[in-house]
Amino acid sequence: MSHSLNEIEAHAKRAARGAGLSWGMAEEAARATRWLASHNLEGPALFSKVLAQNDGLPHEQVAPVSLDGEWHAPEGDLCPLAVGTALNDCADKLADDASVNAADVSYPLLVLPFAAWAAIHLNQPVQLRYRSVRIDTDGDGIWVDDPQDEINVSKTAKLTCQLSTDRNDTAKRPSQRGAVASEVWARLDAFAQRTYAPATEASRLLGAGAGLSDNE
Amino acid sequence: MRVQANTSQTISKRDPALVMRLSRLGSFHQSRLSFMRILTRRMTRENWTFSRPVFEFDAKGVGHAVYCAHTPDRTYSLIAFGHDLPPEERSDRVIATRWDSTFTLFDGVPTTADIERLRKNIPLQEAGRVSEKELSVSRANRSVRLWDHVVSRLAAGTQPDRVEVDKVGYLMRTTAVYGSGKLGAADREMIADRPECASPFQIEMLSVFLIRTYVRDLVQHMADLKGGSMSVKLDAEIARSMGIGNSTGLGMAPFLVNHPRLFNNWISAREEAIAIVRMVPKATTAEVATFRGLLDRSILSADIWHSEHPIQVEKLERLRSDLSVLAAHVAQADFSGPYPWDGLYSWAEDMLGEDAQECLASLMLEPYGRLVDHLADQMSDKDRHAFRIDGTMRVAELLAILERAYGWALDINWSEKDQCARAWYVSQEKLEPRLGERFEEPIAPYEQPLAPGRDAAALYAALKEEDGDRNLAAFLLAHPEHRHSVRRAQIVNQAPYAEIRDNTIGSDLLPIDMLRCKLSFFGATHFDPRSDRWVRICMFGNAPYPEELASVDGDDWVYPHARQGRA
Repeated sequence: MSHSLNEIEAHAKRAARGAGLSWGMAEEAARATRWLASHNLEGPALFSKVLAQNDGLPHEQVAPVSLDGEWHAPEGDLCPLAVGTALNDCADKLADDASVNAADVSYPLLVLPFAAWAAIHLNQPVQLRYRSVRIDTDGDGIWVDDPQDEINVSKTAKLTCQLSTDRNDTAKRPSQRGAVASEVWARLDAFAQRTYAPATEASRLLGAGAGLSDNE
Repeated sequence: MRVQANTSQTISKRDPALVMRLSRLGSFHQSRLSFMRILTRRMTRENWTFSRPVFEFDAKGVGHAVYCAHTPDRTYSLIAFGHDLPPEERSDRVIATRWDSTFTLFDGVPTTADIERLRKNIPLQEAGRVSEKELSVSRANRSVRLWDHVVSRLAAGTQPDRVEVDKVGYLMRTTAVYGSGKLGAADREMIADRPECASPFQIEMLSVFLIRTYVRDLVQHMADLKGGSMSVKLDAEIARSMGIGNSTGLGMAPFLVNHPRLFNNWISAREEAIAIVRMVPKATTAEVATFRGLLDRSILSADIWHSEHPIQVEKLERLRSDLSVLAAHVAQADFSGPYPWDGLYSWAEDMLGEDAQECLASLMLEPYGRLVDHLADQMSDKDRHAFRIDGTMRVAELLAILERAYGWALDINWSEKDQCARAWYVSQEKLEPRLGERFEEPIAPYEQPLAPGRDAAALYAALKEEDGDRNLAAFLLAHPEHRHSVRRAQIVNQAPYAEIRDNTIGSDLLPIDMLRCKLSFFGATHFDPRSDRWVRICMFGNAPYPEELASVDGDDWVYPHARQGRA
């Protein structure tokens, strides 16, 4: 179904929170999902999968142990949202022509929006590489090179992000709507539902602000 | 008279620590920078034209109408659906499922197919679905008492009783006006580049402006059907006195916290306008006359402002008495000296309560449209990428920011029950924002991040444990729970009016303060709290109707005129 990007972002934020992300992580995860949806990439679907995979896991279990050297989780795979937020936080590292490398990242496409925001911050295109996939972004537009149809892989052993150079060929630009399959929407909704307090009669009366009659 | 030696002075915007307290935000008044007035000024300036290509209703008010607003560049169309609503189903609560009328603002001129598609969806409101061609979705209920009175009077050949009209002030009240992507509608980002959308909420204000015209036309139509040849046309002045009511509940309060940069831009624009006027070195006779005239009309406005809510009753008493003190002062004040508005405002700071101070601050802007109206275009949030956290910032720097912007919160003992007695949450039914009692209801696990002060204090305590030279990227890797507070603190560092500098979860919180602040920027007057959590207002009361815009002189419709027979 065609959704507004605001709807997608709001839905993703609730889902992220429902899956146990902190509010600040949920805000950025939701923006990332919106960004991918605006590019007609599988953002919402992959996002729902990463939430299911890491459901309720503490951040430290799926986040880089350290931002020095190659990033890796304490054990198991890195969450792409943890990688993405950390990447954007220290985007200035890329400015010195250094690269950020991460080992064993699940659903690596979800790192792309964060690389895009790093590109905006640095005012220079950034390249994200995993498996055979190479994506350049200037923040808004993207140039996707995906010879083996691996853009949506569930895991990559190695992910690299570094500055790129300006490209002359035409970039793919975002649209202002997003399509989300109803089963993906429902999967996200299942997480979102966890953030809603069950209604009680007391809350119905108290919480919403009963008062004088509204019919006159 | 004391003459200052210097011929120019610099007055900065008021301190956020003063402005951003809830009691002051809850005392705000409309101004030239209110969104309704920004819209009507533009419509007049650009000579917008209006048409009503469709208007088909039966005697019960069932049918539909299309109202078009033609700007110099494009057309917006309000599509209104009228329904026959049984009295027992009429409710203003957001959880209602049927309404007297439902609306959408369409981008362009709708085709028959568009109208048929929307007829299946708009009456359902939240249960329906719209497309990117639709810009807003809203609904309204009649004030049954006044509606019946006006229809039967007009049908019988007489005008409505002005006392009855004044008592209610509107024939219909909206219970929600959704914009920006809700229910599948176009996101604000899709239209943000249009000049008429440069200021916030212009689409929503245009929707309500057109709804008001529809309501006037529908009440006339139903009176005509009822009275036949007996019926008379509603007096234009009575029609103009009526606005559109609006019931606003808690949903609006979180908006201010959830959009910190946008909120900053609203407050900052008004504060800049106030500072500009205080820096006016000399006032002309005409400027002073404009101010004095509108002060008189503000006093009248306060006089006809009714509320039964004890808090509002008390505030109103103080406002009225302060305004008469202000009027007495203004009557004998000498405006010929240097910086007369700064002098007047400084006097008010010492002599008047917050409500009258804010009323004066807004009033002082009135003679100076040429100096302040341009600020309307700075009130939106255009920086889409400002959410990025600067991870290179050192811990010590963030600590200093927190001390500056959240000093008030660092002094609060947040473990005290009274300081955190409330919690904001979203209910499962209708996803309605609510405010509950943390220690009496099982809501804490569902708490929304709407207590920035408490969270900033927790962040501050955590940062105190860190090496001041450490950067935030490393800190946040270990402390994702503080991520939203770090972002807010970095925003407030750039946008000093972004944050309410008060406790939003204390036992003494009055959500109506947050509602009034937001609604004052819409341009609402006569706030009438119906509890501490929802408020009724009137929008576009006394405003020109579309066909009157061209003949309106000035931009002062929001201030009532003295009228014979008015109490």
